Amino acid sequence: MSELADVPWNLILPLLVLQFILMIVALIDVIRNKRTNGPYIMWIFIITFGSLIGSIIYFVFGRKND
Amino acid sequence: MSILLEVKNLTKSYSQEKAADNISFALEEHTSTALIGPNGAGKTTTLSMLAGLVSPSNGTIAFHNNKTSDIREIIGFLPQYPKFFPWLSALEFTEMAARLSGVEAKKATLEARKTLEFVGLGDAMKKKTSAFSGGMKQRLGLAQAIVHKPKLLLLDEPVSALDPAGRRQVMNLLKELQAETTILYSTHILNDAEEMTDQLLFLRQGALVEHGSLEDVRTRYAKPRILIEFEKLEDIQRFKALTPWELTVTGRTIAIDIVAEKVEMPAVLAILYKEGFLIRKVERQTASLEEIFMEVAVIQS
Amino acid sequence: MTGFMTLLQKEWKEQTRNFKVLWIPLVFIILGILEPVSNYYLPEIMKSVGNMPEGAEFLWPEFTGEEIFMSLLGQYQFIGILVIVLAFMGSISGERKTGTATLLYVRPISYRAYFLSKWIVLNGIVLASVWLGFLAAWYYISILFNSVNALEVFGFIATYSLWIMFVVTAVLAFSASFSTGIAATLSLLLTIGFQIVDSLIGEYWTISPWKLPFYATSVFNGNNDAAGLWWSVCITFIAVLVSIFAGVNMSKRNAAKTTV
Repeated sequence: MSELADVPWNLILPLLVLQFILMIVALIDVIRNKRTNGPYIMWIFIITFGSLIGSIIYFVFGRKND
Repeated sequence: MSILLEVKNLTKSYSQEKAADNISFALEEHTSTALIGPNGAGKTTTLSMLAGLVSPSNGTIAFHNNKTSDIREIIGFLPQYPKFFPWLSALEFTEMAARLSGVEAKKATLEARKTLEFVGLGDAMKKKTSAFSGGMKQRLGLAQAIVHKPKLLLLDEPVSALDPAGRRQVMNLLKELQAETTILYSTHILNDAEEMTDQLLFLRQGALVEHGSLEDVRTRYAKPRILIEFEKLEDIQRFKALTPWELTVTGRTIAIDIVAEKVEMPAVLAILYKEGFLIRKVERQTASLEEIFMEVAVIQS
Repeated sequence: MTGFMTLLQKEWKEQTRNFKVLWIPLVFIILGILEPVSNYYLPEIMKSVGNMPEGAEFLWPEFTGEEIFMSLLGQYQFIGILVIVLAFMGSISGERKTGTATLLYVRPISYRAYFLSKWIVLNGIVLASVWLGFLAAWYYISILFNSVNALEVFGFIATYSLWIMFVVTAVLAFSASFSTGIAATLSLLLTIGFQIVDSLIGEYWTISPWKLPFYATSVFNGNNDAAGLWWSVCITFIAVLVSIFAGVNMSKRNAAKTTV
């Protein structure tokens, strides 16, 4: 368990938090709108498991603007 | 009455065809004019030119008693399928519309609210337009077109997409507006045109083929005729033998052209009475607007 | 410029409500943090993941903070620009296609106000994102590597910002001129495509907008070609102004193409 303690959390944590915010924003948007290109369930998976890239491609390609 | 707008020789040609071909007409203040014609007759093109969206290939559009050169300052425009930013609420959109047409901020909010109440969206004004039904969008479209009190209201098929109840409501709103503004609207539903129009403009393949007041057009194309529906089929032959008139027979019914045969109802009734015909129905009829439409705008093409 | 303030508000509302004002900065910041962190921990990660033979020692190059800035710029030059192009390619063409533009164009707006309102909001979002990304990177670099001179960092960011402004303006002008698909293709060609061309045969000239990212990094290297830098800055400024002018005119000319 000493390895976990070795991880410099004070440096990594902000990164994780920001990624988490991005993911949450994307998820909230999908669930609230449900108007996506393709089934919105698929986008929930892409966002949840695609980390940074997943959220980006949702905002770029998944979101319907009309 | 003074003339608000005068259109002369308005033409729009795309590579091959002419979407509008040498159209001239004038609109008097506080009147409503119906632009009638089948699909593809050039109604939308004509309205788009008046709205400043499409620039004419030829011809002039002149507003009288107006200093402005930008046509868009005095019009309100409702497209056939108005499209709104889905992320704005109805109130925000109408407010923005008023602001863009030069209404100052505080007044814009006030007018937007009033207008939305007027079109019956009072309860939905805080909702995002993405949640709006077709009928609600049409009302919002009307609201954004009138919120800045334009001198000229251009409406492209304002009620075609609505169900009968919605159509009735919007027609009533338009009738109320007539007192304050000049309306030019396109339609292919003739009942609407019949209900609210001072002038009819018939378009066919981009050209203005007939125009005038409803009464004028009616008289010109009335084709008054007398229709008799007999009880017995063989009576038609007997009736024919008794009269000198040219008859058109359809089933049990015959039609006599009043103008061509110089005949009126009393003469017809006298024969029917004297000879003791059994009659289902006798009627004097003039052409409906629909028949006129078919004759003027469609059939000749 | 009739309606400018109203259009500016509309544009800002749009970018807030479609979350672009949030996710685009987040992407640049995350990339900005990821670059120093991953470079710092790369040797350790490789050690724990790769099954290296006992005793084998790889010599990892010792990166300087300046080099991390340069490699982050490399990320922005590809991923960053891709995000900018894809996020904003439909800014004007999209409004025409869906027909939402119609109800704007029939109002007495000036197309200058229309185009500039978008230009300001888009540049605001993208430049703020790039700045926040570099600042985050700077903080991490100062902890994990060496502290980099503030003046150099600001010179670097300022030069790169002009390039980013050039990219945003180009995307917007293309969107005003063409349909969304063509606008995206041309934008990517002009930014990423030309960048590759410039890196391959660019040694024959010293002045071009595509040289700006290179000049930005040269702030750190010290191999200063001041004349080349300033001429490139001038050329890029002119290119931005010309693109704005073209964008305004094309917005107006294409107004008739909006779905009625």
